[in-house]
Amino acid sequence: MNVDKWISDIIASRERCTVPIMTHPGIEMIGATVKEAVQSGEKHAQAINELSKKYPSKAATVIMDLTVEAEAFGSSIAFPENDMPHIQGSLVDSESIEGLQIPSLSAGRVPEYILANKMAAEMITDKPVFAGAIGPFSLAGRLYGMSEIMVACYLEPDAIALLLDKCSRFIEDYCMELKRTGCSGVIIAEPAAGLLSNEDCLQFSSVYIKNIIDKVQDDSFMVVLHNCGNTGQCTDAMIYTGAKAYHFGNAISMPEVLKQCPADTLVMGNINPVGVLRMMSPEEIEKEVTSLLEQTAEFPNFVLSTGCDVPPCVPEENIQAYYNALSAFNRRI
Amino acid sequence: MNILTTKTMNDILEQIALCVENGKINQKSPYPPSMKGQLGADELTLQALEEGVAPADVLSKGLIVGMGRIGVKFRENKVFVPQVLMSAKAMSGAMAHLKKYFLDGSVKRKGKIIIGTVEGDLHDIGKNLVSMIAEGNGYEVIDLGVDVPAEKFIEAIKMNPGAFVGMSALLTTTMAKMEKINKIIKSEFPEVITCVGGAPLNNEFAKKIGADYYTDEPQALVEILDKLVA
Repeated sequence: MNVDKWISDIIASRERCTVPIMTHPGIEMIGATVKEAVQSGEKHAQAINELSKKYPSKAATVIMDLTVEAEAFGSSIAFPENDMPHIQGSLVDSESIEGLQIPSLSAGRVPEYILANKMAAEMITDKPVFAGAIGPFSLAGRLYGMSEIMVACYLEPDAIALLLDKCSRFIEDYCMELKRTGCSGVIIAEPAAGLLSNEDCLQFSSVYIKNIIDKVQDDSFMVVLHNCGNTGQCTDAMIYTGAKAYHFGNAISMPEVLKQCPADTLVMGNINPVGVLRMMSPEEIEKEVTSLLEQTAEFPNFVLSTGCDVPPCVPEENIQAYYNALSAFNRRI
Repeated sequence: MNILTTKTMNDILEQIALCVENGKINQKSPYPPSMKGQLGADELTLQALEEGVAPADVLSKGLIVGMGRIGVKFRENKVFVPQVLMSAKAMSGAMAHLKKYFLDGSVKRKGKIIIGTVEGDLHDIGKNLVSMIAEGNGYEVIDLGVDVPAEKFIEAIKMNPGAFVGMSALLTTTMAKMEKINKIIKSEFPEVITCVGGAPLNNEFAKKIGADYYTDEPQALVEILDKLVA
């Protein structure tokens, strides 16, 4: 698929479209547990496919699992039955970074995720499938400890630069492999960089992401840079990466960030997946979605999305309300 | 011991506050680059105590002032998480020199807060930020860590009568655990004031589960606690 054409068609269209970051409802639809879906590429792909058939999203997204890469490096992971896996403890300190091996793509659950993407790209042929990967700063924080890396960036910058280099080399390899699966792009999730100032985000995240993007992005494969931690302070650093699309969380003002982002890139966001989609009534959700669509109406490059991954146990009528609001908005224009 | 003039004393306390505000831990710390080679909160606190500044003044007019400033800047998006953590580190180094004064009672805290990330949840950055800012603003923090079950909160409340309780959660699934823990705390200790925070939470959720306060940033919590202890 030519992603440049896909992007320009969206921008040229009068109708609004949506690309929610949503897989858990699909996991629930196939009767699997989260634990099963994150460990089986086949179940994972089935979930995405079922979801894609049910809802008219403009692209399909895979599970946003920010433990896969850390597990490949050797982190210990806990797998709750019906919640996302999480990392237990840190793996390296400044002394052990030098000895840290960059893992192969056969480590941990990486092969299952590659399989899931390959199967999803084969099953879903009417829309692009976006794979997922963690960003280098978020991965480094998971390996080193999030609070610890924030301090070490200032006190031990050389050690952290080496760790970031190792993380980004692995992510680049992983993204290249994801590209070979037939996916049309990858959502690089870099939420931890949203805790940094613009200057620090540039130094500790964006320069590494730009290197990855320069290698993997072309007219058949796009990078969507997701940063749900950004409250508006590090948008310039995100734009520096040259991604073809940017995805924002609910901590940011979409009209404001749309003014900042290049008009030829897609800008996605930012319905609160918990506070709105999970916790509000369908009527309230319709109001929230309509309000966001109205606020962003003047920007042709806006794509409606959730601000982050839709959590487990969101009622079906709530998801329907999200889509109903979009349809009603499109009927009015 | 030298007797300082009021002006000199105020100068050194302001320098301590500046070091905490800017995250200047000690002389050898390279951060911030603009203060490279200068004395940090560590050396200045020691110097102030040696020169006769009251330990209570070092805490309230130096360290707490610096930490209060960084908390406000954080709320206003003028600084970000790493800068707050550097300030907390500078504060923590200086606090080590005050430990014996806390133990002998010559320096008193404003109150105690028991903090933990609730059972099933291993995220600690929000909890750590709140802990550091609360401690930096004069509260004794009993940090129970992450994945804290109700029994551990109850045990800590028994050991620290009158303490506030702060609970953190980042996962939607562990928000439910927060409700359970709050219920258990309130049924056994109805007088205990509970505060909750975490990215997926909001005020409505806090009200629904019966928590007393919700804040979306640490300085706001300190302001609530300050009003409660006033």
